[in-house]
Amino acid sequence: MQAGPVIEVDGIVSRFGEQTVHDGVSFTVQPGTLVALIGGSGTGKSVLLREIIGLQRPTAGRVRLLGTDMLSASEAELDAVRRRFGMMFQDGALFSSLTVAQNVAVPLREHTRLSPAVTDALVALRLQQAGLPADAAQKMPSELSGGMRKRAAIARAIALEPEVLFLDEPTSGLDPITARAFDQLVRSLVDDLGLTVFLITHDLDTLLGVVDRLIVLGGGHVLADGTVKEVMDVDDPWIREYFSVRRIA
Amino acid sequence: MTPPRWFALEDDGERRTLRLASAWRLPQLAEIEIALAQLALQGDGVLQIDGSALESIDSASALVLLRVLAGARRSDAAWVGFNEVDQRIVEQVRTHLAAAEPTPATRAFGPLARLGQSVFSFGSLLGGHVNFFGATLFALAELVPRPRRLRLRELTVQLEQVGLQAIPVVALVTALIGVVLTYLLGLQAEKYGANIFVVDGVGIGATRELAPIIVAVIVAGRSGAAFTAQLGSMRLTEETDAIRTLGLSPMQVLVVPRVLALMIALPLLVFVGDVMSLVGAMLIAGPMLDVTPVAFVARLREALDVSHVFVGLSKAPVFALVIAVIGCRMGMTVERDTRALGAATTSTVVQSIVAVIVLDAVYAVFMQAIGV
Repeated sequence: MQAGPVIEVDGIVSRFGEQTVHDGVSFTVQPGTLVALIGGSGTGKSVLLREIIGLQRPTAGRVRLLGTDMLSASEAELDAVRRRFGMMFQDGALFSSLTVAQNVAVPLREHTRLSPAVTDALVALRLQQAGLPADAAQKMPSELSGGMRKRAAIARAIALEPEVLFLDEPTSGLDPITARAFDQLVRSLVDDLGLTVFLITHDLDTLLGVVDRLIVLGGGHVLADGTVKEVMDVDDPWIREYFSVRRIA
Repeated sequence: MTPPRWFALEDDGERRTLRLASAWRLPQLAEIEIALAQLALQGDGVLQIDGSALESIDSASALVLLRVLAGARRSDAAWVGFNEVDQRIVEQVRTHLAAAEPTPATRAFGPLARLGQSVFSFGSLLGGHVNFFGATLFALAELVPRPRRLRLRELTVQLEQVGLQAIPVVALVTALIGVVLTYLLGLQAEKYGANIFVVDGVGIGATRELAPIIVAVIVAGRSGAAFTAQLGSMRLTEETDAIRTLGLSPMQVLVVPRVLALMIALPLLVFVGDVMSLVGAMLIAGPMLDVTPVAFVARLREALDVSHVFVGLSKAPVFALVIAVIGCRMGMTVERDTRALGAATTSTVVQSIVAVIVLDAVYAVFMQAIGV
């Protein structure tokens, strides 16, 4: 288990040609917390997430994930870290040629030497932990609804029992009822399995309901960082407008 | 046997205690699983699992341990000394395990059933093609009273893509076919000193059979696949649905221009193929068979009746219609996932090439029968 901070982001600068997306972004995430990253469109939330998990390099700055420096690590070290975090992409990114059960089994087959019987049992457990019914296991991803596909993607992301789970807009495109159930699922992963969850969202209800800590990105900087209550009191036009939707209602 | 470092089984007469140690986590689970398999937990008496020396346990390891206990019919074992986090993980896995329903087994089909399935799906594929062919003819017929409904812009774009841009590859391939054909015929004809008659063989063979077939195969791979990919990705992004909701007909907007473009372009490409294969033949006939270009052309005028060229050219629109219908139909009916699009594109190429060759054989028999 990770003793120090799980994610350390220090002075990230991201530039694409003329355009500067991040101009010195810094924060840390402690283990066992559920942290949300919000910000308007084009503030570089997804870019930041991709930089943290090493899919993209920032122009300058430092990223440490689970104690590993993601920018200077060797490919072998990166591989070791990759087994310790899970990532759920926005549309699931399930392999369309495999059934749901096979999708979840991919990381297990690849990275462990468990017997087939245990692998099958573990796949069934992961599907249950993600809240999928048993008959979903043999379905192809194209036969699943949006909410089920996201659950299957979570099941695959937690297959290797990661210490950190990254979620890119987990509730986008879901109806409110399914979305709230999804929030509870994510919360239970943190409470029951001791995971650290870092998610990007636009969903105000997710923030108000289950999130421990909120990081607001804007203008290339961290605008606010703290509990939802603390962030709501920050005097910033974008944050005020963001939460005003709910205050009126 | 060295005592495994993951656990130790102690027996103090009254009860047996399975003491867990170090960290039970997924990377080590394969070893733990093997070690656990050698453990004998069966029997009566009180059994307890002691987690006080345990660093941590994850849900996968808890699952393995619970399965071993269940296998030994000792699910009644008491769990003691676990810290709060580990206790919750174990409880969660236990609840899930209890709720687990056996996953329904996938039905396996015997060879006969599979044969039946594939015959049935081939039948429905053919039926679908015929259906789509009818719909295409209907859409074409709609144009007769109202020719202005034809999308001229789309037609010209398609003509450029399937016709003009295909000329270089068609010219290259058919010229080389002409060279190869002359070379093969020449090897035989030289033995009898019948060099000049190679012109007869190449002239008739290339224009009547080879150029149409080769060009149709190239176009099936180039344009048939492109039709499926274009229409299929438009279906994936719901563009075809958008066309329909805007009160337009996808048949008129997408299919008719493609079918017409290919039916116009393919005969022209076959003509390019005819010329280029004869040019290729003429180029090799000089150095290999001592047939000068002048002699080649003079012999061609005598030997190659123009009816052979027309027979070859007359097949082209039929091939074009079949390729375009298969390509468009496979694209318009692609299922809405990305894998299906790739499969449909491949299938289009295979189907069109097979269809072209079958049609050509039918054509040859038919022409023989009516004596052309």
